[in-house]
Amino acid sequence: MTTAAMLSTPVYRPVLPPLPAQHRLLVVQHLALPETAYWQQQLGEEGVPVSLISLNADMEQLCGSLQQHLSQARVGTRLYICGDESFLWKVHQQARQCGLLNGEIELIRTADSRELYCVHCSTLQTIEPAPLVHCRQCGLQLMVREHFSQRLGAYMGVCNDPFAPYGPTTTASASLEEQAS
Amino acid sequence: MSELLDVRVASVRQLTPLVREFTFEAVSGDLPGFSAGSHVQVHMPGTGRPLCNAYSLLSDPQQRQHYRIAVRLQEQSRGGSRFMHEQVKEGDVLRLSPPANLFAPHSRAGHHLMIAGGIGITPFMAYIAALEQRGGSMELHYAYRSGLTDTYLEELAARLGAALHPYDGRAGQRLDIHQVLSDQPLGTHVYICGPDSLISDVCQTADALGWPAERIHWEAFAAPEPGEPFVAELADGRTLAVPGDYSLLEALEQAGVPVPNLCRGGVCGQCMTPYSAGEVDHRDLYLSDSERADHLMPCVSRGKGGCTVKLAL
Ligand code: FES
Repeated sequence: MTTAAMLSTPVYRPVLPPLPAQHRLLVVQHLALPETAYWQQQLGEEGVPVSLISLNADMEQLCGSLQQHLSQARVGTRLYICGDESFLWKVHQQARQCGLLNGEIELIRTADSRELYCVHCSTLQTIEPAPLVHCRQCGLQLMVREHFSQRLGAYMGVCNDPFAPYGPTTTASASLEEQAS
Repeated sequence: MSELLDVRVASVRQLTPLVREFTFEAVSGDLPGFSAGSHVQVHMPGTGRPLCNAYSLLSDPQQRQHYRIAVRLQEQSRGGSRFMHEQVKEGDVLRLSPPANLFAPHSRAGHHLMIAGGIGITPFMAYIAALEQRGGSMELHYAYRSGLTDTYLEELAARLGAALHPYDGRAGQRLDIHQVLSDQPLGTHVYICGPDSLISDVCQTADALGWPAERIHWEAFAAPEPGEPFVAELADGRTLAVPGDYSLLEALEQAGVPVPNLCRGGVCGQCMTPYSAGEVDHRDLYLSDSERADHLMPCVSRGKGGCTVKLAL
């Protein structure tokens, strides 16, 4: 069940399609990312101008400069966002508000980590790829659902087993239960 | 098919030697409302054959008392535009299909860029009225031949001022598509109406400049071109001889085999019909190459000269 990709699960293309553009705008999470130099060079290959914006640790500042860039932009501008998943979708949302269409935005994911939203205590947290995790805030054992919220840039975490909300207490008791049934 | 409207021709104006304008009013009751970019199909009686062409409504969509269309006399006419030019007089009663819209202005566009070639100006007349009412940002690039296809030029100049960019082909003025498309603010949508060559030039240039397909909208002239006669075979074994100046759709309609249709110009997808044999001259702008292997659009496409097309109808 959880392995089948749902419609809302974002798909990141391993290779970017060669889309024509008048101007390319690369937004990276950190200037220090090894991907930064690589993509800056790749995107500029056919001589199309590339502008670079980086986070500089402050999301608000980044959104400000993105907005400013896009308010001057012409149709034919393509936006490339490079960072972890939650970064991608925060910037994506901002870009959509500035009038870019989905078809004008490419996402380059740089890390395997995912954001998880605990539907019980509303805490956002970064997780490693695993189907079951404990919520950092309320401690519930959460099942990571493949349903992805673009607004939150996160997957949904729901209580895995209401009869054992914090997970099986010990592996021994779990196997005893199994034997009993 | 939805019910046809009876309308009376309230006035006819010859705008240029090639373009005639018709104003229709309801024979009784009110005309249904329409939105900018809508068209109607005009059914032409007394031609001894089912003749029916789609024309854009150019009147103000807020104006519910009448509909207005403009018809360019096509040299390659199968009879439709000639009928409108030579036969239709004030006071005549015609039947129209209710308005349908395949070419509406995009509701979220920040700026509307309209590109018209000749008689392709007609849907934009309604656009401009609608955009004026809602304060939409717009510009119009209009390519025409002065004295022949420069319909409504003065009115447009008065309404649009600097937002009108006229190009008179007779005076050698050329629309530089690349330049126009390379300098549009981010929220722009482009709309093209005119000959196929204009539409494909704009689409290709936009594509090369990185415009995504969602920002590009076009409407081709919705009149099928004549071709070679051929034979259509129906599923029940009946055969129809389709003359060169009939579309397959018209031949089917005359034989009492109605096919749902909307644009009669190969763009809307309504008339899609499966076929199992025969060589087809595909002229639509709707089907993909793989769909063409077993589907055709009878409003514009036809069998290649002399061949028999087997329809699954
Ligand atoms: S009627 Fe629209 S494609 Fe044939």
